[in-house]
Amino acid sequence: MNGRVLTIAGRIWLGAILVFLYAPILIMALMSFNASPFYQLPFEFSTRWYQALGANAEIREAALRSVLIALVTTTIATVLGTAASIALFRYEFPGKRALRILLFPPIAIPWLITGTAMLIFFFGIGMGRGTPAVIIGHVALALPYVIVVVSARLATFDATLEDAARALGAGPWMVTRRVTLPWIAPGIIAGALFAFAVSFDQFVVSYFLSEPGDATLPVLIYTAIRKGFTPEINAVSTIIIVVSMLVMLIAARYSKFGGER
Amino acid sequence: MSAALAPRDRLRLLGLLTPAYLWLTVAIFLPLSAMLFFSLLSDVPFGDAPWHVTADNYLAFFQTTTYAKLLWKSIKLGLMVTLACVLVGYPCAYVLAKTIRGRAREALFLLVILPFWSNSLVRIFSWAIVLRGNGVLEVGLNAILPFEVDVNLMFSTPAIVIGLVHSYLPYVILTSYLALQAIDDSLIDAGRSMGAGKLTILRRIVLPLSLPGLVAGAVLVFVPVVGSFMEPRILGGRVGTYYGTVIEDQFVAVFNWPLGAALSFILLAVVLLILAVASPVLRRAQA
Amino acid sequence: MAEVRVEHVTKTFGDFRALDDVTMDFPDGGFFGLLGPSGSGKTTLLRAIAGFLFLDAGRIRIGADWVEDVPVEKREIGMMFQSYALFPNMTVADNVGFGLRVRRVGAAEERRRIGEALDLVRLGDFGDRKPHQLSGGQRQRVALARAIVTNPRVLLLDEPLSALDKALRVDMQIELKRIQREIGITTIFVTHDQEEALALSDKIGILKDGRMIQAGPPREVYRNPIDIFAAEFLGEANILRRPGGTLPSSGVIHLPVTATDASALAVRPENMTLSATEPVAEGLSKMSGILAQRVFSGALGICLVERDGTVVKVIARDEDIPDIAEGDTVWISWKPEHTIVIPGG
Repeated sequence: MNGRVLTIAGRIWLGAILVFLYAPILIMALMSFNASPFYQLPFEFSTRWYQALGANAEIREAALRSVLIALVTTTIATVLGTAASIALFRYEFPGKRALRILLFPPIAIPWLITGTAMLIFFFGIGMGRGTPAVIIGHVALALPYVIVVVSARLATFDATLEDAARALGAGPWMVTRRVTLPWIAPGIIAGALFAFAVSFDQFVVSYFLSEPGDATLPVLIYTAIRKGFTPEINAVSTIIIVVSMLVMLIAARYSKFGGER
Repeated sequence: MSAALAPRDRLRLLGLLTPAYLWLTVAIFLPLSAMLFFSLLSDVPFGDAPWHVTADNYLAFFQTTTYAKLLWKSIKLGLMVTLACVLVGYPCAYVLAKTIRGRAREALFLLVILPFWSNSLVRIFSWAIVLRGNGVLEVGLNAILPFEVDVNLMFSTPAIVIGLVHSYLPYVILTSYLALQAIDDSLIDAGRSMGAGKLTILRRIVLPLSLPGLVAGAVLVFVPVVGSFMEPRILGGRVGTYYGTVIEDQFVAVFNWPLGAALSFILLAVVLLILAVASPVLRRAQA
Repeated sequence: MAEVRVEHVTKTFGDFRALDDVTMDFPDGGFFGLLGPSGSGKTTLLRAIAGFLFLDAGRIRIGADWVEDVPVEKREIGMMFQSYALFPNMTVADNVGFGLRVRRVGAAEERRRIGEALDLVRLGDFGDRKPHQLSGGQRQRVALARAIVTNPRVLLLDEPLSALDKALRVDMQIELKRIQREIGITTIFVTHDQEEALALSDKIGILKDGRMIQAGPPREVYRNPIDIFAAEFLGEANILRRPGGTLPSSGVIHLPVTATDASALAVRPENMTLSATEPVAEGLSKMSGILAQRVFSGALGICLVERDGTVVKVIARDEDIPDIAEGDTVWISWKPEHTIVIPGG
C-alpha cells in the first residue's frame, strides 16, 4: 500500500471528522442570526433573536443562576479537590489506592443514576430539590476532575522541595503556601476551569435536582425544546457554546493536554 | 519523600482529605445506598401511603418483557454508538498521533477536543436543526444533487445515533490519542527495519499497545449512552423510548420512584458487569 | 554548633531493617562521612538525624537535646540534598533567605545574612538570578548557602557532590572543607565515593545492611579494617587467607604476632612490589605467580597476578614495574608490617 496515499487519505478523514464535529455547531450559530423564526432559508441576517434574548427575563435569570452555581461549585470543588490532591501526594498510608479508585464512580456511573439517587437521598433527608441540592451535586461531579488534573500537575512536582522547606524550618502550611502552591498553580487553574465547565454544562443532574421555577440554563433549554423551539434558544445556545469553548481553551493553556512537553 | 505518620501528621492528612471525600460520600455514596433501599420499597415513604419492604419492583422487571426489551434496546444503542465511535475515532487519533507533528498537531488536537467541552444539550439541539425536514441537510442536499430528496431524519433512530456519536466521539479520540502518542516511535522503526509493512505494524505493534486507550474510550462512551434519555427524547420523538427514558419517566412523570430506583440498579449492575469484563484490559492502561 | 549522638537507633520498613542498632558519636565541629553500598542505611541514618523519619528504637541527641520526637522543622538543622532542591520560582536571594523569612528575622538582618552567606560561597553577585539560570556547581553552592545561613547546629549533606563531574567535584570538595573549617559547624555527609569520604572526613563510619561496621578516623579504618568487608570496601585488598583457611603455598609469608587461626590476612595492592626474579632481601614476605594482565594507567600500573586459582592485584608506579610480559612468572613481595590482620574475619 502506498504510504503517501494512506497519509493523504488519513488527513482527508481527519478533515471530514472535523467538519462533522463543527458543522452542526456552526450551522446553529449561523441560524441564530437568521431572521426567519422557522429556520427557513434563504438566509436573512438579523440580530433580532439576540435582542429578544435580552428581553427574555426567564432565560436571563436562568443564565445568571447557571453562572452563579458554576462559580460556587468551582470555588468549593477547587479548594476541596486541591486539598485532597496534596494529601494524596504528600502522605503514604494504607488504603491510598482504594481512595483513588473511589474517584471513579461519579464519572463511571451514568449520570442518570447518580442524579436520581441524589434526588431520592435529598428528599429522604428532608432537603428536597433546589439550588443547594444542585450545588451539592455539581461539586460531587466536579471533584474527580479537579483531583485528577491537580494530581497530574503534582506528579511533576519534586517532593524534595517540600523536604528542603521543612529542613529550613517551615511548618506544613508554610510549605504548602510558599513552595507547593506556586508550582501547582497552573494545575489548580486548569482544575477550576474544568469544574466551571462541568457545572455550567451539566444537564442530567441539574434536571433532577432543580426546582421547576428555578431552573438552570440547560434545563430551561431542554424543557423549551420539548415544548417546541423558539429561536431565542438558538441564540442563547450559541452564546453558551462560545463561552464554554473559550473557557476550555484557556484551561488547555494551563493544563497541557496530550501529555506533550 | 513521605513523612512518617506521626499523630500530628495523621491529623493534617485527615484534615486535607476529609472534606472532599465526605462530600463524595454525602453526594454520591449515601444516595446510591438510599436508592438501593428505595428500590426495595413498595411506595415512596414521604407521603401518607403505607409502605413496606418488597422485592416487587425488581420482580416487575421480569414480569413483562417491556423493561427487558428496552434494556436490550439501550444496550444495542450503546454498542452501535460505541462501535461507530471506535471505527471513526481511532483512525483519527492515529492520523493525529502518528502522521502530524509539532504545533499543527497540538492545534488540531485542541480543535478536536473543544466541542467535547461545550454543552451537550446545545449540541444535540444543533443536530435537531440540521436534520429536520426543511432543515439545512435537506436543503443542502437538494441544492447539490440533481434530483429531489426528502430527507427528514429527525425523530428516527439514525438521528439518535448521529447525535450520540457526535457527542461522544471525542472521548474515543482523546483516549486513543493519548495511548498512541505514548508509543515510542523507536518501536515502529524497529518493526520497519525488520521488513514489516505499514499494515502489519499497525496490526501487530500499534494496535495491541494502544488497545487499553481504545478500550478506555469505548467504556467512556458505552456507559453514558446506555443510560441516555436526553438525546433519544430530543432526536427520537416517539421512536425515542429507551431504558433511560423509562427511568426518567418514573421520576418526573409517573412518580413511581421505587420502581425507577430498581430499574436504575439493574442498569448499574449491567454496567458494572461490562466494566468488570473490560477491566483487565484497562488495568494495562494504568501501567 | 553542636555535637550529635545517635544511640542504638533502629528503623524498619515493613520487613526490611534499614537501621539495626546503630550507635555513633559526631563530636562538635567535625566533618563526618557516612559510607556504604546502596541499601546500607547511610541515607536512612542521615534522614533520621534530620528528622524526616521517626525511629522504631533508639535516641538521637543534637547538642544538649534529645530530638528523636522532634519534627524536622524544629530541629535547627541545615540540609543539602542530592538534587539541591532549589525553589524554582524564587530568586537565589529568596532561596537563601527562605529559612530566615520563616524565622522572621526582619528585612535588614535578612539581607545582611544573605549577603554574607553568598559571599562565603563566592556567589555574591548572583542574588537576583533564578535557579534555572545557574550551572550545576553554582546551584550546589546556593544550596549550601541556604543550608548554613540560619546558623544551624548541624549540617547534613546527602550525596552533595554526586551530580557534579569529576573536576568540579574535586574543586567543590576543597571548597566544602574550607567553608566548614571557617564556620566550624558539625557536618555529616553521606557518600558512596570512598575517595571523597577519605579526603573530607575527620571520622568516617562504614555501614552495611543497616549496621555500623566500623567508625573512626580514615587512616585508622584504612589501616586496621575490622572485617573483610571493611577491608575491601575502603581501598582495595588482596585477601591472602580467609578465617580458618590456609596461606598460599609457594613463597614465604611472615605471619604477624597478632594473627590467630580465626583471623583473615590481607595486603593492600599499593604495598606490594613486583619483580621478575625472586627478591633476595631479608625478612620480606613474598610469593610467586603468573602475570595475567598488565594495565597502564598513566602514573600507575596495575598488574593482575594469578596464583593458586586466585588473582592478586598489585598497584605500583608504572616505572617501578619491571619489564615483564603476560604469561611470565613474577614475584610479589611486601614488608611484613603491611600484612593486615583482620580480627574474626
